[in-house]
Amino acid sequence: MSANSVRASGRLTGTKKSGATVPTIRPGLKIRTKLLLLVSFLLVIPWMGYESVREMEKFLLEGQEQALELTTQGISSILGNRSELFDSEIGVSELAGATLPNLIKEIDEPLAIDAPSEIWAQAVGEMVNFTGFGLYECGPDYRPDSLAVRHAMSIDSTMIFAYFEIDDDILVFRNPDLLSLDTNDQIRLTIQKKSGEILRYLLTPEGPGRLSIYLMKSNWSEVVDGEALREIAGTIDPDEYGYAVKLRIPIAFLGTGSKLKFEIVDVDDDQTREIRQIISTEPDPFLHKFGSVRLVTPALAKLIQPVYVSEANIMVWDQFFRVRAQVGSVFPSIREGFGRSSDEQSFLSSIEDRFFEFFEWILRNPARGMADMPTDSSREDRRLLNKVIGDGVAVSERRRYGDAKLIVTAAPIWAAGQIQGAVLVKQSANKLLTLQYETLQRFTILFLGVFVFLAFAILVFSTRLTYRVGKLQRETEQAATAEGRLLKDRIRAGARSSDELGSLTRSISALLQNLGQYTRYLEKLPDTLAHELHNPLNVVNSSLENLQYNHQDLADDKHLQRARNGVGRLRSIITSLTEAASLKEALTQEQEQAEPINLPDLVRSCVEGYQAANPDHRIIANFKDFPAQVMGVPDRLAQMLDKLIDNAIQFGTPKGLIVVNIQPSGEGVDLAILNDGPPLPPDIADRLFDPMVSSARDARKTHLGLGLYIVRLVAESHRGVVSAQNRGSDRGVEVTVTLPLISNR
Amino acid sequence: MTTVIAVVEDDPDQRENYSDVLTAHGYEVRTYPDRPTAEAAFNLELPDLAMLDIMLGEDMNGGFDLCMQLRNMSSTLPIIFLTARDSDADRISSQRMTAWDYITKPVSLEFLVARVHALLKIADQLQTAPAESATISVGSLELNENSMLVHWKGQPVNLTLTEFWIIESLTRNPGHVKTYDGLSDVTRQGLVERNTINGYIRRIRNKFRTLDDSFDRIQTVHGTGYKWEQDST
Repeated sequence: MSANSVRASGRLTGTKKSGATVPTIRPGLKIRTKLLLLVSFLLVIPWMGYESVREMEKFLLEGQEQALELTTQGISSILGNRSELFDSEIGVSELAGATLPNLIKEIDEPLAIDAPSEIWAQAVGEMVNFTGFGLYECGPDYRPDSLAVRHAMSIDSTMIFAYFEIDDDILVFRNPDLLSLDTNDQIRLTIQKKSGEILRYLLTPEGPGRLSIYLMKSNWSEVVDGEALREIAGTIDPDEYGYAVKLRIPIAFLGTGSKLKFEIVDVDDDQTREIRQIISTEPDPFLHKFGSVRLVTPALAKLIQPVYVSEANIMVWDQFFRVRAQVGSVFPSIREGFGRSSDEQSFLSSIEDRFFEFFEWILRNPARGMADMPTDSSREDRRLLNKVIGDGVAVSERRRYGDAKLIVTAAPIWAAGQIQGAVLVKQSANKLLTLQYETLQRFTILFLGVFVFLAFAILVFSTRLTYRVGKLQRETEQAATAEGRLLKDRIRAGARSSDELGSLTRSISALLQNLGQYTRYLEKLPDTLAHELHNPLNVVNSSLENLQYNHQDLADDKHLQRARNGVGRLRSIITSLTEAASLKEALTQEQEQAEPINLPDLVRSCVEGYQAANPDHRIIANFKDFPAQVMGVPDRLAQMLDKLIDNAIQFGTPKGLIVVNIQPSGEGVDLAILNDGPPLPPDIADRLFDPMVSSARDARKTHLGLGLYIVRLVAESHRGVVSAQNRGSDRGVEVTVTLPLISNR
Repeated sequence: MTTVIAVVEDDPDQRENYSDVLTAHGYEVRTYPDRPTAEAAFNLELPDLAMLDIMLGEDMNGGFDLCMQLRNMSSTLPIIFLTARDSDADRISSQRMTAWDYITKPVSLEFLVARVHALLKIADQLQTAPAESATISVGSLELNENSMLVHWKGQPVNLTLTEFWIIESLTRNPGHVKTYDGLSDVTRQGLVERNTINGYIRRIRNKFRTLDDSFDRIQTVHGTGYKWEQDST
């Protein structure tokens, strides 16, 4: 039914011409969204970066491991075939001690025997706990608050300093009146000389201060010699929990290859004076062996000192699983610490901190993993050394302690075909991981910056592009009306831009110019055609008249008459062509001649004239008079009405009825001409008001289809709208012109 | 003495047809295809009436140039433009050169001869003595049928022959409507469209309004025609 109703509007708000085919638009994204999506592909870069750094980590760890292996092998070959370094005769005396994790601490300044306990405790460093659990001397009723021992030793060039902190609920000193020496709290020192000779020394207090030291028989109750020993010096300082014992033994007194054992003897009852508990520094009291002996060989230490590796711990062991030398630590020194100083807390740095916190949340900072690094890993080391010393192969492994990563390599030291010891190198991988972490951090910051910048740039670019495209689109759409009439012949926006869009704008401008020229040519064509046709028509006309004049007898000749009729029709065709062509120009010129007109008056007087001129038809003004002032040129409105009536007569039934109606319509007034002719042909319905469109099929009637075009031109010049629709009943067409009323001021 | 009519027309067929019909009516016709030959002939001897086409071959405004030349030679020579060009600009140009008539093609030869007669008669009248007797007064309008002179409130109105005939016809029965058909007959051009009549009326009104802004005597009777309104006083 849409074909039955058509509106042609002089305004741009008119609907799109239904005749134009609009391709179905595939659903899709806008340019800006597309570009931003493209940018989001950049997010692959950090992932790639992360992956490559991870790969690099693997590669670097392998490299580190290999380097460490090389170091280990280097050290083992340096130390190879040098049995003298592992000779027990070399270096300081052997010192007894059960499971001291590290070597005895070496100190530069000797400790004074009567210096406060705190100084000693500080000097000897970390102490080892000995408790009575599992020891037969202590028995099942052992309580740690009754007796517990902490012990450590240090050494300088001539002396060994042993320090004990003993928890004892009741301190019982020696009663000088009693002959027996094993009836009070005491310390027993056993020295095994290299020769195998065993010497037993009793260190017994008669009160706070100096200890008395005696060489004892094997039953620990009788003295070999009543004389107190002078070489060994010791003091006892009772304290809140028990007492501290400081002991100084000259190295020379012990001699090379000696072994040591301490036993702490607890007597709690002042009366019975029974030995209640004994805690020994011996690892396995049942075997009655002296504990694992720790030896340090300074020559070895000196040899491996130069191969110090950062955050690495190098240990040289002998075949008896004894540490002979040790250099470095897996822990970073304080100076190289990870912690960042947070003295200044500006706003920016707090944002930075927030960012780093977030970043650490995503990527674990390996520096934190150092907290998981164990201080004692001797058990794993022992397992590794078993393999190295037992099988004679170099071994490397990576260990994980929580977030801490440790690379451990070990290689055997050979001497004359015999395994003499092993080199064990441990290095923290956390430094490497920290580097990796920092790389990732820098990369991420850099990438984020680039990404934000790029995204912003593309956003700006695409917004500008979209704006320009939109502007171009708007201007292009505004260049022609919905009916296809050109309003302007160039697009100014962005025409000077050098890019493709500017080029497109220029192309469209050129296209519009060409179209404009062509349109002007087309518009002028009827005029030109008319002008050109006038001359031959005049020839034919004047020739015919001459013919008739010269041959008066031919006046009634039917052929001459027909020729004259033909000339007449040709003439009216040309006239209507020129009328339409010149009308547009004339209408613009006459704009200022517009005056207020009462439309009903004008129409009524016109209709009277039409009825007089067309007696065959009934032409009725079917409206009541009412004031409807419109602004217009009366002649042109009459001309428009002429064309409407002509059209209604031509397409109405012979002797039919034509009704002219006027009624208010919103802001305007509707002028409707109704006839009783056949309905509008659907094929031309939507082009009815275009020039040269007609449904006339009668060859003898002249109809160029310019009548309704003229109606439209006049209506539009009066800011009106024309429309045509079939009447509800079968027959009849209604053409309506809506003109704006003069607004009441 | 025979009356000499000069016809300047580039199309030989039309030229000959004009010549034939005018000769048949007893005029001596001299035809020229272009401006140079016509100019040369006019310099030797002036015709009694000149019929000019505006466009002469490639010479777009040849007719106008000839008109000016002739008008310089004689102020009373009747000049008719007979052209296919139908624009207001051309009509105004012809008026400025004081052409006596402007007829658009195609023209009816019968009416053409009538016009020639009329113009020659008027020219004759002007040369001998302007006859006061033939002057008709309708209110402030005075018009002399013989000399084709029209005065509005004492001022001369420069009208073409067709325009004069329209005014004459309207003022013959002041207050009565002259229909389009009637006016069409008056223009003596054969079948004339309403729009053409409207054009004539519009130009006539404009001419009066250049003399008198408040001129409103010619009233439109929409759909029918025009009438000359009587002076109210």
